[in-house]
Amino acid sequence: MKSRTSCSLTAIRTTWLILLLAMTLSAARADWRLEAETGALYESNLPNSDRGADEKDDFAWQSNLQAGNGFQLTRDLRLNLGADLGGQVWARYDAFNNVAPGGIAGLRYRFGLGPAAPWVLVEDHVAYAFFEEVDRSGLGNRFRVRSGFGIGDRIALEAAYTFDDFEAKDAFWDLGGHSGSIRLTFDVTSSLQVALGYSYRDGDVISYALPPRPDLVTLSSDREPVSSFGRPLYTAYRLRGSSNTISASLAYALGKYISVQASYEFRNTSSGPLEYGNHSVEAKVAFAY
Amino acid sequence: MNARTIIILASCVVGSGLDAGSLSVTVKDGKGALVSDAVVYVTSSTNSSRAAKQVVIDQRNKQFVPYVTAVQVGTSILFPNKDNIRHHVYSLSPAKRFELPLYEGIPAKPVLFDAEGFVTLGCNIHDWMIAYVAVLGTPYFQITAEDGRAVLKDLPAGQCTVEVWHPRLKGLPQNSAQHVDSVAGDAKELLFTLDLKPDFRVRRAPGLSNGGYP
Repeated sequence: MKSRTSCSLTAIRTTWLILLLAMTLSAARADWRLEAETGALYESNLPNSDRGADEKDDFAWQSNLQAGNGFQLTRDLRLNLGADLGGQVWARYDAFNNVAPGGIAGLRYRFGLGPAAPWVLVEDHVAYAFFEEVDRSGLGNRFRVRSGFGIGDRIALEAAYTFDDFEAKDAFWDLGGHSGSIRLTFDVTSSLQVALGYSYRDGDVISYALPPRPDLVTLSSDREPVSSFGRPLYTAYRLRGSSNTISASLAYALGKYISVQASYEFRNTSSGPLEYGNHSVEAKVAFAY
Repeated sequence: MNARTIIILASCVVGSGLDAGSLSVTVKDGKGALVSDAVVYVTSSTNSSRAAKQVVIDQRNKQFVPYVTAVQVGTSILFPNKDNIRHHVYSLSPAKRFELPLYEGIPAKPVLFDAEGFVTLGCNIHDWMIAYVAVLGTPYFQITAEDGRAVLKDLPAGQCTVEVWHPRLKGLPQNSAQHVDSVAGDAKELLFTLDLKPDFRVRRAPGLSNGGYP
């Protein structure tokens, strides 16, 4: 366990040093972008449970702050570097409260000039999440390849492949998976944008239930009693599952730098005979300068 | 000086205020709202050629200033970058295709706009940066202000055609052209009602798709 933690700390320090160095070197030609967003999240099934009696819903207040710098290396190639700080505070289930400082690096190639030109972006985001329930804390890494192009002035299509990996202090909470997604964005009016998306993920999931659940015991690779949902204690089951997610989002520009955004997401996850659904609703204010 | 002479002199003063050969044009959209940034231009059989001067379109605070520029064919435009970051100005419009790749400060050479047409400018780094240049075959043009009005002075006598173009115009300017028999001697008032497309400019505010920016 100690060597894992040591590796994580080294990775964090290295990432931060690289980011700091790159940002310092670029100060003379800085194309800074500051982004901030804050809002509410509703999650209908926080325990990822398939049994109505075990489902718990909750609200969270979440915020994210990101400072990024872009380097146009050539006409078509752009390097983006950024540092971010995200956090969530849940109304009832404090175990999930977290704050996560991180860094992101991305290399974008655009095949031509203008916003409608096809582009490919390879990016990696690393963040260390400090959870209130300390054993959940750990280093997350998200590697993503995104690509998109414009269809006329009003429609943009985007597809992505994502590899996510989270190494927690307690290996029970490690999570990893692969996912593919597509998203269609449509400009309804000059201020209103809507998007429809679909994604498929195959990877680790944790489902919580009140025991006894012999069916989950046979499916899970590991299990652990947790107090995250109070008493009586739930059992957390590590599973390998696949998720299908559909989403709808909208953004309304209030001004030059600010917009309000809302999104709805339904995720259906299955692992053998186990199947559960999550509804998520998010509303936030986003600022970018 | 008798009363009749005074009246004649007063008429001349009023006339010179509006200039013989002048047109006052108001532009509205289909809903009756006043339209700014519309290019009003006059063509006549006696078009004269004015010496083409150099025009400047700035890049300030990651925006082009002004948003709409009108020039006569043969005019050169300079694109100074007044931000402390690099811009990459380009146009893919058939009337003028060009690129000013990644630069700071003032480019060494201006860009010559040598063909009539309407040119869309962009910045390859900041997709929300957009501006328009109307390259016209006439020296008689003005751009409407916030009040939707443009006043064109010193127009040649005789018949002329007035057209209006706007970045969001549906169709061609010729479709709404108005013909004036003579502008000499009095100030004519014209009203144009344009059919405009919705504004789908790339937003600077955070949206759902950022094309990989930043």
